[in-house]
Amino acid sequence: MNIGFRSKVFLACLGLIPLGVRTSLAGSGRSVAEEQKPKSQAARTFNRDVAPVVFNHCAACHRPGGSGPFSLLTYQDVRSHARQIAAVTANRFMPPWLPEPGYGKFVGERRLTDEQIQTIQQWISGGTPEGAAADLPPLPTFSDGWELGKPDLVVKLPPYVLLAGANTDSWPRFVLPIPVSGTRYVRGVEIHPGNPKLVHHCYIAVDRTQTLHIANGEVYEVGSTGMDGQFASGNAELDSRFLTWRPGSPPYMEPEGMTWRLDKDTDLILIMHLLSPGKSEPIQPSVGFYFSDQPPTKTPMIVRLEQDGNIDIPAGARDFEISDDLELPADVKVLSILPHAHYLCKEMRVFATLPDGTRQWLIWVKRWDFDWQGVFRYAEPVSLPKGTILSMRYTYDNSSDNARNPNSPPRRVVGGQKSTEEMADAWIEVLPERREDLFALEIAMMRHKLAKYPQEPSGYADLGAALRAMGKNQEALDPLRQAAQLNPNNVQVQNNLGAVLGSLGNFDEAIPHFREALNLRPDYFMACFNLANALRLHGDLPQATRYLQQAVELKPDSVEAHNQLGLVQARQGKLKEAIAQFQEALRIKPNDPLAQQSLERAQAADSEPETRNKTSKPDIEIRP
Amino acid sequence: MKVALPFPFRANSRLWLMLAVLLVSPGIAHGQHSFDLDGHALNPFQDDHAKVVVLLFLRRDCPISSRYAPTIQQISKRYADSATFWLVFPDKTESSDTVRKYLRDYRYNLPALRDPEHELVNLSRVKVTPEAAVFDRNHRLLYDGRIDDWYGSPGGSRPAPRTHDLDDAIRAAVAGKSVDKSDVRGVGCYISDLD
Repeated sequence: MNIGFRSKVFLACLGLIPLGVRTSLAGSGRSVAEEQKPKSQAARTFNRDVAPVVFNHCAACHRPGGSGPFSLLTYQDVRSHARQIAAVTANRFMPPWLPEPGYGKFVGERRLTDEQIQTIQQWISGGTPEGAAADLPPLPTFSDGWELGKPDLVVKLPPYVLLAGANTDSWPRFVLPIPVSGTRYVRGVEIHPGNPKLVHHCYIAVDRTQTLHIANGEVYEVGSTGMDGQFASGNAELDSRFLTWRPGSPPYMEPEGMTWRLDKDTDLILIMHLLSPGKSEPIQPSVGFYFSDQPPTKTPMIVRLEQDGNIDIPAGARDFEISDDLELPADVKVLSILPHAHYLCKEMRVFATLPDGTRQWLIWVKRWDFDWQGVFRYAEPVSLPKGTILSMRYTYDNSSDNARNPNSPPRRVVGGQKSTEEMADAWIEVLPERREDLFALEIAMMRHKLAKYPQEPSGYADLGAALRAMGKNQEALDPLRQAAQLNPNNVQVQNNLGAVLGSLGNFDEAIPHFREALNLRPDYFMACFNLANALRLHGDLPQATRYLQQAVELKPDSVEAHNQLGLVQARQGKLKEAIAQFQEALRIKPNDPLAQQSLERAQAADSEPETRNKTSKPDIEIRP
Repeated sequence: MKVALPFPFRANSRLWLMLAVLLVSPGIAHGQHSFDLDGHALNPFQDDHAKVVVLLFLRRDCPISSRYAPTIQQISKRYADSATFWLVFPDKTESSDTVRKYLRDYRYNLPALRDPEHELVNLSRVKVTPEAAVFDRNHRLLYDGRIDDWYGSPGGSRPAPRTHDLDDAIRAAVAGKSVDKSDVRGVGCYISDLD
């Protein structure tokens, strides 16, 4: 039969009708017919094959109260996001896990095997059957309370309101008030971010000298885009380990003997990476501390490979490589690693080359994703002998092909903390086999840093402070002099330099540096006390007295200051004043031997009427 | 147009006309199976004032959708006089109550529709949330796709978006012009998953 024009049009219109059905599958691009093809493999069911994968690898975040935006705990949950799950697992966006398997074995590995990914695909193409009820494994239990048990101390911050509208991530920092009355030893820290959907990750920095808190006031400015403050060390107690949180990362107690010291004048700074919210959200983190009576017998430290200062990536460069190498001066065990860069980095390799030439991989991140950074803890510590060279090789893509390039068109990028700048860091937590090697490691790091940045005053300051802490005063002199020359307004440098000079008996030179430190920070007890002592040893008792009086005002609970003041006063014959000082010292610390002894002598001397006007030492001979 | 129609269409001339219209002018908006939050069928294109119509497709459980709330509000304010904005919730599990709560939480002052049968989704050719569709004054689909390029990948937001695709499209529609790219796919959560 002849099909007329109108009939042709009619038949063509019929072709339009299935459109409505087809587009509901547009996401997959498959037609209805394909969906119903018989499968050759054994059918995958949710209960038997998919649930175990989801429960073990997804539910920790994808549950009520977790970081994920929707739950994946039931058949219905998973089925209603099936295609999304298939896509994000196939391209390994989920579960988020950066390290390449086989190049470091880590705790809490969240990676799916190829087989598990296939299982999900097959389940979907098989029509997502639920399967037999008996096959369903039990749901894992999750605790929203303290996983490590009841903390000894909980610090909860006042709520911080994250405002909507900025459309950029933010990095606020909060000083955690630590209400400990004396030194405590910490076994564990558990961070509860308070709003796991918006807190991408956070970590705690330990700032052991309040001088730095005051000097770097801008570090504590909320809302700046910088990612971490520079906390120069320069103290006897080295900063030792990572205190972090990110979704799905389990908290842990330190192993036996590896507690860390928390003093009452130490600042802990909580640094958070917050996503931009769609509406104003309160963020209220709390941190649980678990204490121990045991001071540490083993102390790790964080070795840092980096090249931040030397980053200079031209616009358009696709394979720009950054490297750093550091030789270990002692035997260590590697406990964990935190690689860090910003948006341009694409690949990271960190490895160790042993003295015998063999390579030990520490981590290989083939596809760096800034959003999934975090600390990776080794399932077994990695032993590295003295003489091993730690190496980092990072590659950056500053072309427009890099979807996450913050600049469009691409621009030259240098190192820095802003998100439009770049970084190259590998923070590696190591445990030296011998505790005394901690200093050797610290010195090695500082010398390395100086070699990279010879113009950087803090490099000299840190090296000098570390050498001084080791008692190597002669070696500390040069770096501290350099530091003072490059940055005369650094109060720590002035004080440290004075202290080193004083220890070497060079009071003439020490005194002006202590004066300068006190000038820079008039309420700095250490500088004041040091100055007084230098003056005393130099023979200037009246000036020493003056500064000791000031010191005692700055820190009324310092037994040492009261004692020294008393002694100086006694030497000048001011016995009544001296006695008062020793008594005060004993009031603060009963049984202090120096205070007791000095008090007895001063009282004895004071009871001799003929000696009241003498200005000699407290060892007074008794006149008949 | 008057035609002598073969059986069976003689008795169903309106259906034939609708199909003919669809065939001749693809993309003319329709909208019969979307609902307002009181459960009444509502056609976002029924407005006679020949305004540009912008549909914004969102899912409550999609974090990317939620993070776009401030941007969406800014854009809607900017073009409030020349365009009508609708928030469309295509997820079948949404109810009027859940949508209302979401609007309150995110301080939206825009009218909302549920589109459980994906009629508007299909019309707009959107694939993920958040994506938008811009219909010109004749209610012809001018642009469908992302709001901007803030997200390059599901986890990866840029520090700031570099393009402003939706804003550009609305401006073009209001001015009666065409857009450079009529579709630019967004990054987000699947609209059409199973059930």
